[in-house]
Amino acid sequence: MKRADNLNLLIFALFFTGILIFSSGCTSDSDTPEEKTVLKILPAGSLMLPFEYLEEDYESKNPGIDVQYEGHGSIQCIRQVTDLNRNFDLVVVADSSLIPDMMMRNNPETGENYSDDYTEFATNEIVIAYTDESLYSDEINQENWYEILKRPDVTVGFSNPMLDAAGYRTFMLFQLSGQYYGDDNLIYEIAGDHMKGGITIEKTGKTERIMLPELVQPSDEKLKIRDGSIFLLYLLEGGGVDYAIEYKSVAEGHDLNYIRLPEEINLGNSSMNSIYDNVSVNLGFERFSSIGSERIGRSTIYGWTVPNNADNPDEAEKFAEYMETEFRENRYGWPPAL
Amino acid sequence: MAGMFNLRNILKGVLPLLLVALFLVFSAGCTGSAESDQNIAGSQAAVEEPSGEITLVYNNGTERTLNYEDLSRLPQKTGWGYAVSTVGIKYGPYKCTGPLLSDIAGIAGGMEDGDMMWVSADDGYMWVFDYEQVNGGGYITLDENLQETKSPELEVILMHTIDGHPLEYNDGAPYRVAIISDRKDIITEGSCWVKWTSKIEIRGEADEKGR
Repeated sequence: MKRADNLNLLIFALFFTGILIFSSGCTSDSDTPEEKTVLKILPAGSLMLPFEYLEEDYESKNPGIDVQYEGHGSIQCIRQVTDLNRNFDLVVVADSSLIPDMMMRNNPETGENYSDDYTEFATNEIVIAYTDESLYSDEINQENWYEILKRPDVTVGFSNPMLDAAGYRTFMLFQLSGQYYGDDNLIYEIAGDHMKGGITIEKTGKTERIMLPELVQPSDEKLKIRDGSIFLLYLLEGGGVDYAIEYKSVAEGHDLNYIRLPEEINLGNSSMNSIYDNVSVNLGFERFSSIGSERIGRSTIYGWTVPNNADNPDEAEKFAEYMETEFRENRYGWPPAL
Repeated sequence: MAGMFNLRNILKGVLPLLLVALFLVFSAGCTGSAESDQNIAGSQAAVEEPSGEITLVYNNGTERTLNYEDLSRLPQKTGWGYAVSTVGIKYGPYKCTGPLLSDIAGIAGGMEDGDMMWVSADDGYMWVFDYEQVNGGGYITLDENLQETKSPELEVILMHTIDGHPLEYNDGAPYRVAIISDRKDIITEGSCWVKWTSKIEIRGEADEKGR
């Protein structure tokens, strides 16, 4: 009898264990923790450092939100929405003019524009980044930087203008510098003469148009041209290049030395747009059919927009407001707020 | 205690049946995800062969449409491909299979030093390769820490098969340019891995200047 009782108790325990397993483990779809709202964001590559912070901080303050971001070059960010028909809640780019150019047009699938408005919120400027190991690092300053970069033994890196706004802004910087310092050969001596296919400059009135070849590749060891600025940072840190053309926030974010440049040439002050637009860059081919091959000089302004097909537009607006507030803190290594 | 004994007696009769029923329900209903995975695997297995067309434009402007059958008649190359985006996100490594771009150019009479290959895609993306690149030269190669490393021998293919199955849409189906080597740890810049390739155009040096 005692043995039978024990057996019954064992069966009883097994029964309840089974019930517990069934109710907890067999309903994976319905019994997962409360589903979070996924906020899908496309930030420009130069915002990757701020977004590491923004994602973690926003999620800790908003436990119901899962921030998922996917960094690309600015044009590629927009194309994810317009050309690849992917749904994102927020697009944040390093050239705000791309939004009206590429998104304020009809989306044939919905009959409305990809976006109808945008907000400008931060700026940046081009600098010459280097390390203590760079050749002539003890000599370079704001007055002589271009003379140092021209030296035959100095290597210079920048990102591919076909792929990265910082890349075509590099050529604008060189040509504006030529005008500013009265040195017509500056752009050739630092870049053009060291590229396969070279470059040509077409002058129309006061505008100087830099014509790039189809293939932007170095013809010798002086230039290092890479797909994105992250690869230049690795090169700089490893001694593979002496000087790299970067955004100021990126140089700061990676603890690099940098030379700030005069406002007339650094593409960082919107009151100088009438000077910046004296130069333009014509890319060797239209990498994307959705945007032309001409880029006109203007100051670096970051902008955000919520696409009209966003799944969570209200949450996206809230995040954007939070993002703007955080940028107004003007943290070291972040593009400064407008 | 008496209540417990009563419960014991009740349970003693029905418990074996309940347990059997519980076991059956548990084993039948608790495999939702595995079943879904099997369905996904099954649907992949159902697609056996790549398909799709590209337009090949010769140096003289002649156009020819190539389908998978045409491409599969060319020698097929298989190797490891591993790409990185402009912001440092790595994709791969993948086992990639397809014909060499240089062999595709061969259908159009081949390329010479100075010629360019313009590769464009359905989504409006375009990339230009020179003669050296079509033949596997002139690329930056990186290790898994994204540090530049000496390039092994590279080959550039029009990939139709990835990890043993036809490309899916997100892979760049039906055809995608891939840079491959015999090493799994070699990464190349992703800008030339043209997804959804639909047109390959050979342009001569003289032709370029005339355009």
